[in-house]
Amino acid sequence: MNFFVADPGWGWWIISYFFLGGIAAGCYFMAAIIDLFGRPEDRPLARIGYALALPLIVICGVLLTLDLHRPERFWHMLFKSEVVKEASAQGWPTTGAGWSTMASAPVFKFWSPMSVGSWALTLFGLCSALSLLGSLWPGGRLERWFRRSWFGMGITVLGCCVGFFVAAYTGALLTATNQPIWSDSVWIAPLFLTSAASTGIATILLIGRWRNVGADPLQRLGQADRWALVLELAFFLAFVGSLGALLSVVVSVPIGMVFVGGTLLIGIVVPLVLQIRAAGSGRHGIVTAALLVLIGGFLLRYGILMTIPALLEHRSAIASRFGPEDGRARGGGPGADPGNQAGKIEPPSKIRGTR
Amino acid sequence: MPVQTEGAAMAENVGFFTDTSVCIGCKACQVACHQWNNLPSPDGQRRPLPVLSGNSYDNTGSLSDTNWRHVKFIEQFSGDANRSQARWLMMSDVCKHCVNAPCLEVCPTGALLRTEFDTVFINEPACNGCRDCISACPFGVIHMSDLPGKNVAQKCTFCYDRLQQGMTPACAQACPTQSIRFGPMPQLQQVARQRVADLHRQGESGAYLYGADDKILGGLNAFYLLLDKPEVYGLPSAPKLPSRSVLRSSFWAIVSAFLVGLAALFTFRERTRRAPEGGIAPGASPSPEERA
Repeated sequence: MNFFVADPGWGWWIISYFFLGGIAAGCYFMAAIIDLFGRPEDRPLARIGYALALPLIVICGVLLTLDLHRPERFWHMLFKSEVVKEASAQGWPTTGAGWSTMASAPVFKFWSPMSVGSWALTLFGLCSALSLLGSLWPGGRLERWFRRSWFGMGITVLGCCVGFFVAAYTGALLTATNQPIWSDSVWIAPLFLTSAASTGIATILLIGRWRNVGADPLQRLGQADRWALVLELAFFLAFVGSLGALLSVVVSVPIGMVFVGGTLLIGIVVPLVLQIRAAGSGRHGIVTAALLVLIGGFLLRYGILMTIPALLEHRSAIASRFGPEDGRARGGGPGADPGNQAGKIEPPSKIRGTR
Repeated sequence: MPVQTEGAAMAENVGFFTDTSVCIGCKACQVACHQWNNLPSPDGQRRPLPVLSGNSYDNTGSLSDTNWRHVKFIEQFSGDANRSQARWLMMSDVCKHCVNAPCLEVCPTGALLRTEFDTVFINEPACNGCRDCISACPFGVIHMSDLPGKNVAQKCTFCYDRLQQGMTPACAQACPTQSIRFGPMPQLQQVARQRVADLHRQGESGAYLYGADDKILGGLNAFYLLLDKPEVYGLPSAPKLPSRSVLRSSFWAIVSAFLVGLAALFTFRERTRRAPEGGIAPGASPSPEERA
């Protein structure tokens, strides 16, 4: 654990991105599975998934751009600005020399989650757009091209894989830092992925219910959600377990309590119980469970991002207690000098003529 | 990729050796750094005027976007009731210009560069302010500038402009006690080892070097002679390279993706088997429900 770091200041834009990006990836993944393997009566759910994935991922792009301190330089994530500048000076796009220089402009660092994630988001946006196009007019030419042909199925499979990546890379990005907690666990990426699945399925479930999709497809979706929640529970416990003694540090700040308790209870355990009960007794409780899954998914992202700045604020009390004065509260007892009672000492004073 | 001045060969690997045992906390290094790099001073409006921080004689608090050098004042007292023993540890903190630099590794835009002197430099026009470097730096060195029109990551440049002219960095030039020494790394390492041996001979047995060898992030081009454990100076004992976690993290992400996919597949696939009319073949027409 390293408490000597600075806070990157990833706040609401990034929390919202993590949350909505997870839902987008979960929606696309579920839509793809239904599209490829589901029954015809399940397909309206796939259309809902595609219809959600694209707008959400576009919003995510906007959120990420807004979070940059230099938003107008968002394209630097994909292309080296210096090389683009040089290519422009050589007359790109109208000259061969410009194109030749431009060929070396893309920046792709496979070891840096943020670099790979930028490309993955671009690719996921493209797949989402094509799949959405394919689902807009059932029976039309676009559906044959982008969903039913081998090319379309290829797009679906690729989008599903990239969607999984988009869901998980944000967790790997947090782990690939030196921040306390984030860098102390390798379980954030799988946790984010399973949470993306559960929140994506929950969103499709809610919209499907609203759009009066049949009971059977929703029941199957509920079953998929139960599986996702069970896996999320397993990975959440693995994450908490991997923190070891650090868990007490996390829950020492209120946000940490909300993060651990909120995610576990509101986001996983209660909806799982509601889902299991609903499976035995009709549809009652499914909507509540789906809403709770979404709240829990948000708390997971909010908690994991905001707990660290809260811990860093108290870094002296947590990480470097070299003396009992450190962390002493106002009126909190004698502190470092229990034997040195002020009352026993007479300070020099003009009143007594000792000064 | 090192930044190469035109026609220049790979220059000598230079570094800072900061001997904290002779630092007197005069802050000449901070002032010289401010002056040379035109770092703005507090103006009482956008930037509050310095006040005593309540933490010894430190009024700048930490490294920041405008403090690329920062002198730490650490007061230590013995645990007895009368605090009969006391000492001040002073240390001029700066970017460590790590040999394996976490900031440079994660930077998605390529704004962080390795120079021909083996130092780490932020190419400001390329930085878009994503702050990944801040999260990756184990020493809390990098900060965002909030100056109008700037808004990019900031840290010590190792006076890259001065190095290119064969000059000593401003802080080392200004240091009156030679606490900050500048020079070629092999030479500095030799001087530092000799200094540790001298201090041991004089009875200061706690003196040791931090970052002089390759154990911490492959070595630190700004390394230290310390008199207490690293944490006392606000330095981590075992900082890590971010990429070392990526593979393990990715492996478990793939496992989780496989399990989630399998679970969803199982849920819908099972129904497909039970229902003979199910399944979608390429080129199949949409269902009546979907047409609706």
